[in-house]
Amino acid sequence: MAAVDIPVAGGHAADAHGDPHANYLKAKRGIGSWLVTLDHKRIGLMYLTMVSLAFLVGGIFALLLRIELFSRGKTIVDGETYNRFFTLHGAIMVFLFIIPSVPAALGNFFLPIMIGAKDVAFPRLNLLSFYIYLVGLAILLVSIVSGAVDTGWTFYTPYSVQSSNSVISMTLGVFVLGFSSILTGVNFLVTVHTMRAPGCTWARMPLFVWGMYATALMQILATPVLAITLLLLCAERFFGIGIFDPKLGGDPVLFQHFFWFYSHPAVYIMIVPGMAINSELIATFSRRAIFGQFAIAMSSLGLALLGFLVWGHHMFAAGMSEFATMLFSALTFLVAIPSGVKVFNWTATIYKGSILWASPMLYGMAFIFLFTIGGLTGLFLGTLSVDIHLTDTYFVVAHFHYVMMGGTVIAFLGGLLYWWPKMTGKMHDERKAKIGFWFVFIGFNTVFIPQFIMGSRGMPRRYYDYLPQFEPFHKVSTVGSWILATGLFITAYTLLEALWKGKKAPRNPWNSAGYEWLTETVPPLANFHQPPVFTRGPYDYHLATPEELATGEDGREVSFTTQMAAKESTHPA
Amino acid sequence: MANVSESVHAHGDGGGDHGAHAHPDFLQHHFDTPVQQFNAAKLGMWVFIATEILMFGGLFCAYAIWRGLDPRVFDDAHHFLNKILGATNTIVLLFSSLTAALAVRSAQVGKRNLTSLYLIVTILCAGVFLVVKYFEYSHKFHLGLLPGHCFGHPGLSAAVQNGEEVGTCLRVHADSAPVMPEWVKAADEDGHVRLLSPRANMFFGLYFVMTGLHGLHVIVGMSILAWVLYKNIKGKFSPAYFTPVDLGALYWHLVDLVWIYLFPLLYLVGKPE
Amino acid sequence: MSAQGSHAVHAHQDDGAVHVHIASSQFYWGIFGALICLTILTVKVSYYDFGKANIFIALLIATMKGSLVAAFFMHLRHDKLFNTIAFLSSFLFLGIFILLTYDDLGNRGRVDNDYGGRFQLETGQAAPGGEPATTATSDSVAEEAPHGAAAAHGKKE
Ligand code: HEM
Ligand SMILES: [Cu+2]
Repeated sequence: MAAVDIPVAGGHAADAHGDPHANYLKAKRGIGSWLVTLDHKRIGLMYLTMVSLAFLVGGIFALLLRIELFSRGKTIVDGETYNRFFTLHGAIMVFLFIIPSVPAALGNFFLPIMIGAKDVAFPRLNLLSFYIYLVGLAILLVSIVSGAVDTGWTFYTPYSVQSSNSVISMTLGVFVLGFSSILTGVNFLVTVHTMRAPGCTWARMPLFVWGMYATALMQILATPVLAITLLLLCAERFFGIGIFDPKLGGDPVLFQHFFWFYSHPAVYIMIVPGMAINSELIATFSRRAIFGQFAIAMSSLGLALLGFLVWGHHMFAAGMSEFATMLFSALTFLVAIPSGVKVFNWTATIYKGSILWASPMLYGMAFIFLFTIGGLTGLFLGTLSVDIHLTDTYFVVAHFHYVMMGGTVIAFLGGLLYWWPKMTGKMHDERKAKIGFWFVFIGFNTVFIPQFIMGSRGMPRRYYDYLPQFEPFHKVSTVGSWILATGLFITAYTLLEALWKGKKAPRNPWNSAGYEWLTETVPPLANFHQPPVFTRGPYDYHLATPEELATGEDGREVSFTTQMAAKESTHPA
Repeated sequence: MANVSESVHAHGDGGGDHGAHAHPDFLQHHFDTPVQQFNAAKLGMWVFIATEILMFGGLFCAYAIWRGLDPRVFDDAHHFLNKILGATNTIVLLFSSLTAALAVRSAQVGKRNLTSLYLIVTILCAGVFLVVKYFEYSHKFHLGLLPGHCFGHPGLSAAVQNGEEVGTCLRVHADSAPVMPEWVKAADEDGHVRLLSPRANMFFGLYFVMTGLHGLHVIVGMSILAWVLYKNIKGKFSPAYFTPVDLGALYWHLVDLVWIYLFPLLYLVGKPE
Repeated sequence: MSAQGSHAVHAHQDDGAVHVHIASSQFYWGIFGALICLTILTVKVSYYDFGKANIFIALLIATMKGSLVAAFFMHLRHDKLFNTIAFLSSFLFLGIFILLTYDDLGNRGRVDNDYGGRFQLETGQAAPGGEPATTATSDSVAEEAPHGAAAAHGKKE
């Protein structure tokens, strides 16, 4: 009795957007239909393709960096090239991969579905944001071809004012990418405000959506400052306006204020989506209402707000006034609170849950573990006196990789495995996915634990050579990078293999109560055949009907009408 | 995207939340009702305005920092901006804001020709603003009151550098130390000869970047309004659907809003005689 | 505005059409008049010196003008509350940005008005990041600076 008949009225002609009831992958065919599509799901997939490619390229640079560091002295490239490599690695990973990764790819796909909307509020802006992303990417390529930048992804003045001219194209590229990010943010914020289906109240809104909402707020409030910073940097290079250039009476540390006013919130733009995915994973695979749903939702907003108050912790050693260093240090400790709230609530959810050890859950558990390490080491760095010792060492490198890679990327992979059946209609091979996971997990820790140790012993970051006592650590770290890469390739293979070899995916392979699992597998163009009405929250396992929690082998949508009727008989309004 | 579904169709109404709404032409397929679409568009525009404010905000921050740190330089330098021209431009922009608001009003009540008229006046005012700005800029260029290392063009009555008069616009060469005039002397807008410290380059750097970025917004605003005008003439708007007029006007008011702050901060604030 | 209803949560209570508050033309002209008066006022007061208060007076008048534009020309007065929140929050975050930045730069020593650069009040030494802007040493600049300079402006600090 699960699904009602698809109510395609005889004369209901498909409009310009295609038949709203057709499988979104098949509604229209041909590359052309993808390039001009306004469907958020297709745009999400196109984003997914691009960010995956960016991840691959950034990853290749990472492997090259690690190989260079395998032995002392010149291993494969000289110092100059090494500088270019780490700049490209950082810039590609941050601006092309991790910032758009979760929101623009998975968020685009699932945010409208999870609130029961037909699409995002501004589908054309959504497509525009994708093309702006491509333009930004093209400009970055120009910069790479024209000699590449060696300033690091942070473009600090005065070096960025003097070094090669590719800085201009690089900053312009990042500037353009910023607009793509802003458009996604605006779109999500408005979608959440105006497009929620009946019954999807703020209190019931899935935590993934809450995370996307908090991310959107940060994208909207922080990215414009990055735009103006980069414009000023270009103006500095072209006209020497002198605001950041000490030679002209400006202040280079002011540039760092501008940069980090964006970039600290940007690290939360990276991690909050990861946390958002993780909340879904933990709830689904513990088969339990998530503990402290409200607290988790509010802690996302808390992170979004506090993220704007702590940027100075990147500049403790840059010559800030003593007063400011103390203030920023004190404020930095505050961000640990919302982060802690999340971690404790996830663990409380797992406690006494009936855990299903599927591959996404492995990633979910790894997230909690690795993010905790990353977050706690952040507190070391936020402590003034300790930071003076640790700043600009591999300790910082390890810290932010634990949060960005161990946090966001792990959650991203978990999210991909979790939602892959819904997105593609194909089941991946769980065994391969788990093998991939263990390679990723072990490899990742092998790369970065040694970096904590050598960092605390004084190994500076951004150097292509090092003292003999660091050699063993670097060797282990490099070997770890190969394990990690193997794991990532296995995972990528698992996902791709599912496309042609995978079994047909059921409607709800993980028996989740989440809203996105109610719709047909491979959702229709309009996301739901019937405009959904939600009568319970997305984690209310006790309220979900057996039909909703069932795997639903035929893949068909749960009927909202029967569901409503069932609810009304048992729970009178 | 022009919604081409001519046929009025009803949703398969699972929740029974709304009856068969007509889908008018302007209603995009993913919205249920015109008011939903309208609210989304408005919210989107306001959020976009917030991003614009934060973008300009970076410049206001730089202004606040440098003004706070070197108030005297700013006090001196602001005499080189013409208050009368600035005030004129302010009034021109305020008037254009008025006509933009009136254009929205006429669209709301369905007076199409009046909407067009008001839009045209708005665009013309924007043009006047740019012309005035052009004269102000060229006067600054002439005097050599330029940002950063271009500051101290020989047009200044006495651009002194290391005790010698300098003949060309001074530039920083990548390899050599910057050359800057030390103190420059020039006649300000009221005809007083004043001394300007070399750090006045900061003021003019900010002046040009702030008004330049604002000018860019004026041009973008003109194009948006021109597009709205075109659609209006083609009869796309009605009291039921005037969103683009509304949003275009909002953008235009934003341009005005930024100027409302730029004008006093750059032209007015400082020690008078 | 209740007439617009909030779509998402409740079912539509109305016909789903757009209903907005429409002000009269005279009203808009009135606002314009007020804006012109405030513009004249801000220009007029700029000819008087209120010392440090100059900038605050200018900002106050500008904010009054800005509020008029936002509330009436931009219809915030009759719009959804959240639009106002979105608008105002940008100022909040801008304020955070400026304050916390100033909190560093404003506490790093004082600007040397004659030579540029910053120095520490207590010691007279160059403040961190505050190298003098000119290449000449401060002494030699002092010699060469036109003598009227200091006198004409009066030393501050
Ligand atoms: C739990 C809260 C966190 C705290 C207290 C914290 C603290 C810090 C501090 C103090 C630094 C500066 C270290 C230095 O340069 O001396 C730092 C660097 C960094 N953090 Fe965090 N952090 C936290 C979470 C995160 C998250 C979630 C991310 C990203 C997803 C992140 C990414 C980074 C990056 C990329 C850098 C290095 C930037 C650079 O210089 O290139 N942090 N963190
Ligand atoms: Cu940070």
